[in-house]
Amino acid sequence: MIAAQTVTTMSFFFATLALLCWVAVVLIGVGVLVQRRSSRSIALLESLSADIRRVALPLAWLIAAVTMLGSLYYSRIQHYIPCELCWYQRICIYPFAVILGIAAWRRDAGVRVYAVPVLAIGAMVAAYHTWVQAYPPVDGTSFCTADAPCTLRYVWEFGFVSLPFMALSACCCMIVLLLIARPAPRTATTSESS
Amino acid sequence: MSNQPSSKGSAPSRVAAASEQNAQNSTRWVWIGIAAVVLVVGVLAFVFTRSDGSGSGSATPDGGAATPGVTVVPSGKVAVGPIVVTGTQLPELANGGADPAVGQVIPTIDGQTFDGSAMSIGPTGEPTIIMVVAHWCPHCQREVPFLQSWLTANGAPEGVRLVALATSNDSGKPNYPAGQWLVREKWTVPTMVDDKASDGAQALGVTGFPYFIVVDAEGKVIERTSGELTATQWEALIAAAKSGSAQPTA
Repeated sequence: MIAAQTVTTMSFFFATLALLCWVAVVLIGVGVLVQRRSSRSIALLESLSADIRRVALPLAWLIAAVTMLGSLYYSRIQHYIPCELCWYQRICIYPFAVILGIAAWRRDAGVRVYAVPVLAIGAMVAAYHTWVQAYPPVDGTSFCTADAPCTLRYVWEFGFVSLPFMALSACCCMIVLLLIARPAPRTATTSESS
Repeated sequence: MSNQPSSKGSAPSRVAAASEQNAQNSTRWVWIGIAAVVLVVGVLAFVFTRSDGSGSGSATPDGGAATPGVTVVPSGKVAVGPIVVTGTQLPELANGGADPAVGQVIPTIDGQTFDGSAMSIGPTGEPTIIMVVAHWCPHCQREVPFLQSWLTANGAPEGVRLVALATSNDSGKPNYPAGQWLVREKWTVPTMVDDKASDGAQALGVTGFPYFIVVDAEGKVIERTSGELTATQWEALIAAAKSGSAQPTA
């Protein structure tokens, strides 16, 4: 009973974080649009934007790390079996739990050149998987196997948040954060090359 | 996470260091805000999931009509149950042709639900639909939420008892144990756990999953069917249970 309650709590927690990722994506998008369209500078928005851009890279790493740990929690502790589509998403996300950590440490926002395409692929797979779980095809999909059916909703919070939806949320949020991340300060580059 | 310039003493580097310090101070509140939000989400998750009883809701283990949306199958450690079958085993459902089990009284199966409470499937004096599901079966994984949505939307059918048997329980197969799966699906139908040899399913002549047996008030088989059902087919089974005879679906 404790295990069942724990997984319910964890799923609620991760599902809410996934929704917060979308809130962040929307707010950042609106903020960027307002900044570009507005003819006069808004001090508060610019200050906020500067702060968000500074934390974007470590925040993206944090999301990658939490996504990886959450995924491992479900497969290693709860023994949910990842399907083929889950594995493709893992391939696209797991490396960034390390790569973005290094980039955040080195303040290398240039990592976006390598990270965004891979995360975009992960987001596309996750979007497809989300759709499959929301509207399971009667005949399954070519990715479905009896041992690990991709249509199985291990998590279904708030009537629509599934595990692939969480992966999709994480990928989209990381992409947006990487795109707005502030480039490495010149001083840091100088110190590294000296 | 700092990466301070190494060239000490020069004016540009001092300015850069001061600027960096200011930036760190100004972003500190962003991190504090993020930490606070995550903490609040954690507390909300704990409060909402531990206080609504969703993990420990009690179904009616004696097999009484479930109240959809109010109770779910109880959580518990029973993943493979003890089963005692009395009575005559039903023959297997033939592939095409008449079902040889129609008119035969179903055997009585005594066992447990997921929390160890006693539960019985057998003739009880009221029309009954018995659903047999397997945790690893993709068709059951689609059918269970589909039927639960129907029950939530329409309520438990009046005058028809619904029970389920979670069978073919195998720790080596996906989605094990069945109890956790059905709790996740907020399954409201009282469900018995079959034993390791799936004796309960064999007693009902199960040949595939999901599997449905419709019996009348005397416990005699009206109809049996296997495979995923549409809403129309499911409603036809309920109508069959109420009327005492199989209903056409077309």
